[in-house]
Amino acid sequence: METIHDIVYYYSQNGAYVWEQFYRHFLMSAYGVLFAAIVAIPLGIFIARHNKLSVWVISLANIVQTIPALAMLAVLMLVMGLGTNTVVFSLFLYSLLPIIKNTYTGIRNVDHALLESGKAMGMNKFQVLWMVELPMAMSVIMAGLRMALVITIGIATIGTFIGAGGLGDIILRGTNVTDGTPIILAGAIPTALMAVIADVVMGWLERKLSPIKKRKGSLKKNLREQAA
Amino acid sequence: MLKGKRLLIALLLALAVLMSGCSLPGLSGAADNTIKVGTMSTSESQIMGNIVRLMIEHYSDAKVEMVNNLGSSIVQHQAMMNGDIDISATRYTGTDLAGALAMDSVKDPEEALKIVQREFQKRFNQTWFDSYGFANSYAFTVTRELAEKENLKMVSDLEPLVSNLKLGVDNSWLKRKGDGYQGFVQEYGFEFGKTFPMQIGLVYEAAANGKMDVVLAYTTDGRIKANDLQVLEDDKHFFPPYDTSAVARNDVLEAHPELEGILQRLSGTISTEKMQELNYEADGKMKEPAIIAEEFLEENNYFETKK
Repeated sequence: METIHDIVYYYSQNGAYVWEQFYRHFLMSAYGVLFAAIVAIPLGIFIARHNKLSVWVISLANIVQTIPALAMLAVLMLVMGLGTNTVVFSLFLYSLLPIIKNTYTGIRNVDHALLESGKAMGMNKFQVLWMVELPMAMSVIMAGLRMALVITIGIATIGTFIGAGGLGDIILRGTNVTDGTPIILAGAIPTALMAVIADVVMGWLERKLSPIKKRKGSLKKNLREQAA
Repeated sequence: MLKGKRLLIALLLALAVLMSGCSLPGLSGAADNTIKVGTMSTSESQIMGNIVRLMIEHYSDAKVEMVNNLGSSIVQHQAMMNGDIDISATRYTGTDLAGALAMDSVKDPEEALKIVQREFQKRFNQTWFDSYGFANSYAFTVTRELAEKENLKMVSDLEPLVSNLKLGVDNSWLKRKGDGYQGFVQEYGFEFGKTFPMQIGLVYEAAANGKMDVVLAYTTDGRIKANDLQVLEDDKHFFPPYDTSAVARNDVLEAHPELEGILQRLSGTISTEKMQELNYEADGKMKEPAIIAEEFLEENNYFETKK
């Protein structure tokens, strides 16, 4: 009970600071995922076309994923120095696997009949990709982005060790002071909350972008319109 | 296939180098107008780092980025040499004499400061500023009650009572060579009745509870104030001085000519007692160093009247 009281007290004293770190933390994660998406979605599409490559690319991304976060940061720090950019880059690397894998799976699983009918309608390769494959795979790709974002929000906390700031700073400070439990919680709760919120929002987007749901929705709408 | 893998690794590395130079909106400013301030993970270092940051932001339009939680003075030093940080917020004369400079310790605080100022300029092309006004060293500490009753002001005042006193100290200090317990006995010529090794964090309460009569504390720790303890003056200058200053790279001072004046404004503004107070706000009252620094500077009007 006292801890809860202390946490509330902590927020009342340091509200502005916590919000600043929260924002910073989110930006680091978001940038990491954004850059990863720019690289990984085209790469995923590419390996879906060249199936032989897929084994290599995915296993490489798998290897990246197995490196412990602290070790990754330490190694990158040697190349890139201290600060936020290093953290963003390591988050980028961790985001690659889920996005590549999901893009690959999403594109591969598009029904062949749809591709054929696309071609039969006279679409060129790009049109098939843009109008058939990507919309069909979108919800799976979004699931990859969602997973990546949740992972990076968690990993970004250890960015504090190389001076990047973020909510990890608050947690680490909690471990350094005498009665740090409330401070540790005051840093950990927003981190968890951010991950949950990101998950919910991305989940919502994922459903929104799913072509199957959309069709149902529009079908109902059409029926209603007809009835009216 | 191996070729493809190598290509990928090369690409990743190239991207890494590319990214380390670029700026992300909202996270880091453009490299040429950003001053990076490094701090250690202690509250004291982070408070001072934030004070430096706010002073720079107040007096110039340069952007400041904090690089917190550097492990030690040596890590700070390496980060300065690599250019990862431009200013280190807290550097202690005694620590860097032994660490970065690898020289023998000097007992006189002013001489120690002169040496590090000269050597850092010469060897590392860095400017070591004048002290903020506080020193974070070891000090023998007693309760105010005992100090008043026995009229204790200096360590030498302990001599007549010493055989009945219990001393609580940091684990490592008892066996340490040079400025450890053996050295202390030689310098002051008396031994305590009983010594109790314990974790440094516990000594403050041990003294306050009366479990210990004398403890060896860090002079700027906020718990000295919180537990109403009294620091005894080290009248024989047994402990090396740990006066605290900011250190900046000279190329940054040249690129931002106003910076030197801003940092000089801070010299001599914070006494050891004031630092205890500020540290206690962080460690005892759960305030964040950034908030403490802001309140402190607003209270003092950013030292605008000081020249």
